[in-house]
Amino acid sequence: MPPLKSLELKFPIIDSKFLQFCASNGIFSVEDFLVHDLYVLVAFAERQSNSKELKQGITQVLSIIDNQHQPWLNGVEMLEDAQQNKHVLSTGCEGIDLLLQGGLREGQLTELVGSSSSGKTQVCLQVASNVALEHGVMFLDTCNSFSPKRIACFINQLLNPSFKEDKQKILERIMSSILCHSVFDIFQLLDILHQLQFKLRSQVNTGDGEVRLLIIDSISSLITPFLGGSGAHGHSLMISTGYLLKKLAHEHNLAILVTNHTVGGVGGVPKPALGESWKSVPHVRLLLSRDRGSNMCNISILKHPCLASGRTERFMIYD
Amino acid sequence: MEVSRLPLAPSQKAKLISAGYTIMSFHLFCLNSSYHCTDLNISDTEALEILKLASQSCRVDRLDGSHAIVNGAQTAWDMLHEEEFITRITTSSADLDNILGGGICCKEVTEIGGVPGIGKTQLGIQLAVNVQIPADRGGLEGKAIYIDTEGSFMVERASQIAEACIEDVLKNYVFQRKEYQACQDEMQPKTFLANIFYFRICSYTEQIALINYLDTFIAQHKDVGIAVHAMFVKVVILDSVTFHFRQDFDDLALRTRVLSGMALKLMKLAKKFSLAVVLLNQVTTKFVEGSFQLTLALGDSWSHSCTNRVILYWNGNERYAYIDKSPSLRSASTPYSVTVKGIRDAASHCKRIRMM
Repeated sequence: MPPLKSLELKFPIIDSKFLQFCASNGIFSVEDFLVHDLYVLVAFAERQSNSKELKQGITQVLSIIDNQHQPWLNGVEMLEDAQQNKHVLSTGCEGIDLLLQGGLREGQLTELVGSSSSGKTQVCLQVASNVALEHGVMFLDTCNSFSPKRIACFINQLLNPSFKEDKQKILERIMSSILCHSVFDIFQLLDILHQLQFKLRSQVNTGDGEVRLLIIDSISSLITPFLGGSGAHGHSLMISTGYLLKKLAHEHNLAILVTNHTVGGVGGVPKPALGESWKSVPHVRLLLSRDRGSNMCNISILKHPCLASGRTERFMIYD
Repeated sequence: MEVSRLPLAPSQKAKLISAGYTIMSFHLFCLNSSYHCTDLNISDTEALEILKLASQSCRVDRLDGSHAIVNGAQTAWDMLHEEEFITRITTSSADLDNILGGGICCKEVTEIGGVPGIGKTQLGIQLAVNVQIPADRGGLEGKAIYIDTEGSFMVERASQIAEACIEDVLKNYVFQRKEYQACQDEMQPKTFLANIFYFRICSYTEQIALINYLDTFIAQHKDVGIAVHAMFVKVVILDSVTFHFRQDFDDLALRTRVLSGMALKLMKLAKKFSLAVVLLNQVTTKFVEGSFQLTLALGDSWSHSCTNRVILYWNGNERYAYIDKSPSLRSASTPYSVTVKGIRDAASHCKRIRMM
C-alpha cells in the first residue's frame, strides 16, 4: 500500500496539513486508512479548525480506494454476458464434448491432469486443430512437444475430403491461425500473458479470426522449480499466474486449457501435481488416463462448476 | 509493469511491495537510485540491480509495433515447413531409425532408459560419433558434448566406433578414385574424437553448474570445419542424468525442484541452438497395481521433462527398444544389437517391427 505522502503530487487536497492530521491519528499509508475506524476519524476531523478540507481529503482517499475494485454486476448482466459472449468451443473429440456437454467454455480455465504419456499433448493438439478451423489459437509449449505434423494430420481428418484442390490453401489458412511460442520460465510466461492482454485490449472486435483459445502445455513444469522450499514465493507465483489466467479468460472471452502432471499420492494412487492451493484455481479439472498399450483413453471430471464430478467417458486418439 | 512479474529475489520483492511500489514504470529508471535506498532500506548495489532489471523488462513492454500478437511466436504453418529441413541423427541401426522417424530429432529432448548393460552408453557414444557425419553424406556435420557422470565413457571404444562409422560411410557411397582419397583423408577417427567435448561430473552441483554454463560454451564453440562449413554443437548427451540424484539426496522436495529447473534449461538449450539433447536414465522398481514393476528413475515429475522417451529392455536374449512417449511418433518396438562396430540392426533373419 503506498504511503500517503506519495499521493500528494496527484491530489492537491492531500496537503501537509492533512498528512499531519492523519499522522496524529497514526495513519501513514493507505492501508492504515482502510484499517482505521472512519467514524472516529471523521468525528475527530469535525473538532479541527479546517474540518471541511480534512473531510474532503478523507473523501478523496476513499474514492481512490473505490477505484481499485471491479465494477459491480447484477445477475441479469452476468447471464447476458454468459449467453452472448461466452460460447462453447468444440474439442473435436466426441468423448470429451459429450462429457463437457459441448466442449470448452470461453471464460473458463480448464485443467487436464494425467500421468506421463496419457495423451495430454495429443488432446491439446487435437483441440487446437479443431478450434483453429474458425478462430485463432495461441499455444504455449514448455516441453518442445508442439508437432506441426500432428496438427496437419488432425486437420486433414477434420476437413471435408471433397475439396482436394484447395486443400493446401485451406491447410495454410488454418495452420496460420495457430500461434506457437516456446516458454521455459514462469516470468517469461507472465510477460507473454501481459503482452497478450495488452494486444487484446487494444484490438477492435473483429469477430472470426481472433484468439479464442489459449493452451499452455504444461504449466506444471514451469511452476515446480519454484514450489516448496523455505519461502512461499513459489506459491504466490503459482496463484498469481492462476488468477491472471482466469482474469484474461473472463475479460477477453478466452477458453484456457492447461495441462498438469501427476505425482505419487497416498497408497500409491497418483494425484495431480501442484498441491492443494492449486486445486481451487481452475474452473474445470479433468483427469485423463490411457489404457496400457492402446489408443483408448478415459477422461473423467474431477471438478466442474455445473456438472457432477465422477462422470467419465471413453474416446480414442487416432493415428 | 508489476513488481510481481520481475525476476527478483523474494526478499527484495517483499521490501518493494511493503513500501508501496507495486508498479514500476519507465520513469523510475530515471530517478536517483539513492532515493530508493533510504526509502526501502536496501543497499546501493541492490537498488541499481533492481532498476536495471525493471528497465530491461519495461523496454520489452514498449516494443509493441510488431504485427504478431506475441513477440517471438511462430505460426504452425511456418513450423511445418521448418520441420522438413531438420535432419535427424542416425543411430546406425535402420530399424531403430525407422521407429524414431529417421533418427534422433534436433530441438527435442529425448530420454533413453534401460537396465544396466542394455547398451545406453554404447548408444550415447554412437550418437556422439554419428552427429559428425558430413552433411553431403547425409549427416549433421556437428560437434558433440558428452557429459559423463558415471565414468563409463571409454575413449578406445569411441575410437573403435568412429573407425567403424567412417568405414560404413565410405562403403555406402560410390566415389571416383580422387574423391575417395580426399574423403578418407578428411574423415579420420582422430578428427571425430577431437569434435567430442567431454565433461566429467562428480556431484549434482557440478551437473547443475555445467548445464547453466552450456549456454555460453555452445555459443562460443563454432568454427570452420570440414568443407568450409561452420560446425556447431548439435548433440548434448548426458550419461546418466540420474547418478548424482539417486543417493545422498535427503530432501526430495529439493530434488524435484532442482530436476525440474534442469529440465527446463535443457529444453531451452535444445530449442535455442537447434540441437538434440539425449538423456540416459537408469531404472528402479515401483509398486504399481499390486506388483513391483521396472520404471525409469527420478520419479513421476521427471517423466514429464522430456519430449520423447525410449525404453531399452531385454526380450529373451535380444535387446529391444520401445517408444514410450512421443508427440508425433507411434508406439512401436524393434530389436537392435550392440556389436564391435557399435549399434547395429539385430542379427536375426526375420527382422520385423511390431506396431503396438
